[in-house]
Amino acid sequence: MSDKTRLLIIDDDPDFVSGIRSILEKAGYDVSVTYNPKDGFEALEKEPPDLLLLDVMMGRGAEGIMLARKLRKDPVLREIPVLIITGIREQIAYLFPGEQVHPGFVAVDELVEKPVDPDFLLNRVSVLLEASAERKKQEK
Amino acid sequence: MEATLTFSKEIANLLYAEHGNPIRDCIQCGTCSGSCPAVEYMDHSPRQLIAMIGADMKEEVMESNTYWSCASCYQCNVRCPAGIDIAGMMYGLKRYSMWRERYKEGLVGPQFNESFMKMIMRTGRSFEPVLAPTYVFKLGAKDMFDEAMMATSLFFKGRMSLIPKRIKRIEDFRKMVKRIIPFGGDA
Repeated sequence: MSDKTRLLIIDDDPDFVSGIRSILEKAGYDVSVTYNPKDGFEALEKEPPDLLLLDVMMGRGAEGIMLARKLRKDPVLREIPVLIITGIREQIAYLFPGEQVHPGFVAVDELVEKPVDPDFLLNRVSVLLEASAERKKQEK
Repeated sequence: MEATLTFSKEIANLLYAEHGNPIRDCIQCGTCSGSCPAVEYMDHSPRQLIAMIGADMKEEVMESNTYWSCASCYQCNVRCPAGIDIAGMMYGLKRYSMWRERYKEGLVGPQFNESFMKMIMRTGRSFEPVLAPTYVFKLGAKDMFDEAMMATSLFFKGRMSLIPKRIKRIEDFRKMVKRIIPFGGDA
């Protein structure tokens, strides 16, 4: 096994995934992908990554949110930083005009909106990884 | 792992949690198309649509009005010998095309859905005069006139008000929706 930082993407949009995957791989991360929440959760349990990139609208609806709630309840998995990447605001913002999206599902998480600028994506990934490493250090 | 996913696998991922069997189990018997009461309004019959997905014909499927014409009567589900949740697939394809903004132009369905959701969030119940503009202008002059006459007689009989009614405790209802969709503070 390599000692590269391991990232997991759970997103059902193959075009978007192949885009961010190549950006992240070029930046030196070890990236794996699952295309639905069920396979995603299995992959998470099998081998927890250092960071999770999660889509919201999958399968029957906002299943990314359901997955994030499941993670929050898991004593091990809730430590994984989560970057939620979604086009959700654009699509359903009309329901709650002017309101902010508040993830807050796990200890470290953040929400960015599609389409994502490559530099911004890499910046958020490294910030979240640093924050998570910092927290681990403090716990020790 | 393969570089990109085929359309049929994309749809399999979309429908991973549906109740029925995967659509690749389809034996192309055509029972769904034969049972469908809305098939005459569809560009492709349900059987054709399933075959098109299997053949990865993404552009053609996205351009089809089939899943927007589905009346959700579930007759196809009941009769399908392969146990496929065909109505569920139709809903899945609607979601797919809305999330990716890939639906055929000029369809009533997507706008209707949006107006319906907005209305439900505002008042908690259905109010026809708000929904009517999404489709009424697409009707012919006679149908439009009939629709207007129907609305007028409903109004004079006291079956339809001019102002939408709200349910009690609408805030509780909105909180419920926010629990599912992570908007607003208390997610």
